[in-house]
Amino acid sequence: MTDDLRASTTATFGSLSQRSLAIAVGLIGLCAGAIVPTYLASDFVLRLGSEGLLLGLLALSVAFLMNQAGLVALGAASIYGGAGYLFAIGMSDWGLSPTAALCVAFLILLVYAAMLGALIVRTNPLAFMMLTLAAGEMISHAVLLEGLRDYTGGADGLVVRVNGSVLGIDALRFADPVQFWCIAWIVTVLIGLAFWAIGRSRLGVVLRAIRGNEERMRFSGFNTFLPRLIGYVLVNVAAAIAGFLHVLNAGFVSPESLGLFVSTNTLVAALIGGISGSLGPILGGLIFSFAQDEFGARGLTQLLTGVAIVLFIVVFPRGVVGGLSSLSKRLGWRREGA
Amino acid sequence: MIALLIANSLALASLLIMLSSGLALIYGLRDVINFGHGAIYMLGAYLGYTIALVGGFWLALLLVPLLLALLGIAFEYLALRPLQRRSHIEVALVTLGLGIILGQVIIYIYGGEARSVDAPKILSGSVTVLHLSYPVYRLFLIVMGLGSCALLALWLRYTSSGLYVRAVSQDPSVARMMGINADRLSLLVTSLSTAFAGIAGVLAGPYLSVDPGMDVVMIVNCLIIVVIGGTGSIGGAIIAALLFGFVQVAGSVFLPNLAALVPYILLMVVLLIAPGGIGRGRVMS
Amino acid sequence: MLATEKLSVSYGSVRALTDVDLEISGDGLLHGIIGPNGAGKSTLLDAICGRRRPTSGRVRYCGEDITRRSISWRRRQGMARSFQRTSIFQDLTVREQLQLVAQHLGDEGLDDVIETMDLGGYLDQKAGRIAYGVQRRVDVALALIGRPRLLLMDEPGAGLSATETLRLFQHVRDLVRERRIAAVVVEHDVDAVFACCDMVTVLDLGRHLSTGAPEAIRADQRVISAYLGTAA
Repeated sequence: MTDDLRASTTATFGSLSQRSLAIAVGLIGLCAGAIVPTYLASDFVLRLGSEGLLLGLLALSVAFLMNQAGLVALGAASIYGGAGYLFAIGMSDWGLSPTAALCVAFLILLVYAAMLGALIVRTNPLAFMMLTLAAGEMISHAVLLEGLRDYTGGADGLVVRVNGSVLGIDALRFADPVQFWCIAWIVTVLIGLAFWAIGRSRLGVVLRAIRGNEERMRFSGFNTFLPRLIGYVLVNVAAAIAGFLHVLNAGFVSPESLGLFVSTNTLVAALIGGISGSLGPILGGLIFSFAQDEFGARGLTQLLTGVAIVLFIVVFPRGVVGGLSSLSKRLGWRREGA
Repeated sequence: MIALLIANSLALASLLIMLSSGLALIYGLRDVINFGHGAIYMLGAYLGYTIALVGGFWLALLLVPLLLALLGIAFEYLALRPLQRRSHIEVALVTLGLGIILGQVIIYIYGGEARSVDAPKILSGSVTVLHLSYPVYRLFLIVMGLGSCALLALWLRYTSSGLYVRAVSQDPSVARMMGINADRLSLLVTSLSTAFAGIAGVLAGPYLSVDPGMDVVMIVNCLIIVVIGGTGSIGGAIIAALLFGFVQVAGSVFLPNLAALVPYILLMVVLLIAPGGIGRGRVMS
Repeated sequence: MLATEKLSVSYGSVRALTDVDLEISGDGLLHGIIGPNGAGKSTLLDAICGRRRPTSGRVRYCGEDITRRSISWRRRQGMARSFQRTSIFQDLTVREQLQLVAQHLGDEGLDDVIETMDLGGYLDQKAGRIAYGVQRRVDVALALIGRPRLLLMDEPGAGLSATETLRLFQHVRDLVRERRIAAVVVEHDVDAVFACCDMVTVLDLGRHLSTGAPEAIRADQRVISAYLGTAA
C-alpha cells in the first residue's frame, strides 16, 4: 500500500529488457527522424517542417501548462521573439560572443519569466490568461518604443549576423535547411521527452492535483505557488529555445515574432494536436505549418486560426492525437487503461 | 492644465467604462471572460461608420446598439448556453476564437486601411468652459460615459434584475439556491454588454480612429481594467477605468517616451500590491 | 492548544463574527460548535484555519500567534480540516490522493487512516465516481493524514443520515481520545453533538454565547431562548 506512486507507471513498462528495447527503438527513431526526411523532402518542405517543429515546441510549452496546471498562456510570443531580440542585442550592442549572448539572453528570459510568473500564477486561471495576454502585448509595444529604436530597430526589426559558432555548433549549420532540420528535430524530440518525463514526475502529479483542487492542496500542507511557478518557468525555457533556434535559422528578428498572432497560432497548434502528452502539440505545430502554407497566401490564416480554436474546443477537445488514441481504443487496438 | 488632463482622461475612461463594465457583468454572472469583446466593439465602430455615411451619426448611435444587442442574444443562445457545461477556460478560448473570426471578417469586408468618422455638426468644434477651450465631442463623451455609469448604478441598485445580478456575482451558489433564473438574467446582461460595446464603438469613431487593430488594443485595455478592478467587480471596473484613463493620458503628457507601457506598469504595480485587484472580485483562486 | 482572542471577521459591512474568545484544550477532547444558521460557525472555523483573514483579533496555536500564517504552514504544524462541501481530488483515485498527501507530510501510517475511515474497498476508484457518503470519508481521511494534533471539521454530517452522522462522530471521538489530540466540530445535528462532544460552544449572531459541558449547555437559559428554544 505504501509503495511509491510511480511504481504503477513503471510497472507498465514491464521488465528491464523491454525497457532497453524501448530505448533502442527510440534512439533509432530519433536518428531516423533526423536523417530520413532530409533525403526524401525538398529544401522547401524541410523549411516548412522545421518551422512546424519550432511552433510545435512553443505549442508543447503552452499545452504542458494547460494540461498539467490548467493554465492557458497567451503570451508565448514574448519569450519566443524576446529570445531573438536579446540574442541579437547581446551580440551587436553588448559586444558578446554568440555563445555568451545566447547564455545572457537565456538568463534574462529566465528572470523575466520568474518575475512575471511570481506575479501571475497566484491568480485564477481566467485572470492568468488575461494577464499573459496583457504581458505579451506589453513586450510587443516595448520593442516599438522610440527610445529603444537604436537597440530594437523599431518596426523594421534587426538583422542578426552570427560569426563563428554557437554552443560549439557552426552558425552556418543553422541556416542550412537540411542541417537545421536535424538540429530542430533532435532538440524538439528531446524536449518532448523531457516534458513527458516531467508530466510523470512528482512535479506533474502535484501540478495536476493543484489544478484539480488548489485549496485542498494548501489544506494538505502543500505550497501551491512554487510548483506552478516552476512549471511556468520550465515551459518558458522551451519557448526560449524555440526562439533561439528561430533566430539562428532566420537570421533576423521582427516585431511580428512578438505579436499576438504568434501566441494564438501556438494555441491553435496545441489544440489541433491535442494538449495531453508531448506528441500532440509537436504534431499540431507541423500540421499548422503546412496548413498555413496552403491557406496563408490567400490571407486566410488568421480567419482559420479563429475557426480552428472554436472547432477544436467545441467539437474535438482532445485534438488529433487524443482523438486517434480514443479511436484506436474503441477499435480494440490497445488494452484498456494502457 | 490639470483640468484639461482630467477632462481628457474622463473622455477616455468613458469608453473604457462602457466596455469593461460589460465584461465584468458577464464575468460576474457566468464566470466567463469574453475575449471577443474587443471585436464586438470593433464591429460597432465599423457598423457605426457605415450607418453614419448613410443616415448620419445619430442614427448610427441609435441603431448600432440595437443591432449589437441582437448579436448579444445570438451569442448567448449559440455560444454561452450550449457551452454552459464546459470549463470557463474553454468558453473563454471559444470567445477568443469567435473574436478573431469576427475581426477577420470585418477586415475582409472593409479592408486594412483606417477610416475616420466625422462628429455631427452640433458636437464638432470647441466650447470655452472656465477660460478653457475644449472640444465639444469629448464633453459629449464624458456625459455619455458618466450617464451610462449612473444608469448602471441605478439599475444595479434599484431594480430586481439588478439586485439579482449583484447577488449572483457575489455568490453564484447562494443565488442559485434563491431560485434566480440565471439564464434569463444572462440573456439580459449579455445583450446589454454587447449593446454598450456598440455604443462605445460608435462613440470611438470621431474620437479615436476606426482601424483593423482597434479590437486587440481595446480588449487588452479592458482586460487590464477588469483585472485591476478585481474580476467581476463592477464598481471596481469603473474605478479602474477612471484610473486607467488618467494614467494613460497623464503618461502621454509626462512620459511620452514610455506612454505605451504606462498601463502595463500600472497593472504590474496593482498586482504587486493587491493581487486580487482593488475591487472585491473573485480574481484569486 | 488553540485559543482565539477577540476574533472578528467582517464581509464588507456585514459582521460575521464579533470578538469571539475561545479556548480549546488538546487533551483528547471533542469540542462541538453549534448555533443557528448565520451564527458564524463556519466563519469561525475559516478564521481558525487561515482560510479567511480575521478583521481583528488573534488566533493562538500551541501558544504561538499564528494569525498571519499560511494554510499550508498550519497544516504542516498539525492543524487539519475537513469541509462541509466535500473537497477532494475528483480526478485522482482514492489511493493516489491519500498517498500524495501522506508522502508530502511524511506519514507512514496511511494504512491506519484507510482502516479508520473504512476506505479499503475504494482505493483504486476515481474519487469523483464513488458514492457521496464515501467521498465524505475520503475528505475526512485527507484531514487525518500526518497525525494532526488539531482536527477542524465543518459539518461532517452534511449529506449523511442521522445514524451515519452519529457513527462518524463516535469514530472521531474514539480517535481523539486514543491519540489524545483535539477536534473542533461544527455541526448542525445538535443531537450528535450532545451525544458525543465533551465540550460544546454555542454561537449566536456572530457572538460567543456559551461554552460548557453538554449537560450544562442544555440547561443554559440563554442558549435555550436563543437557539434550542422549544425543541430542547
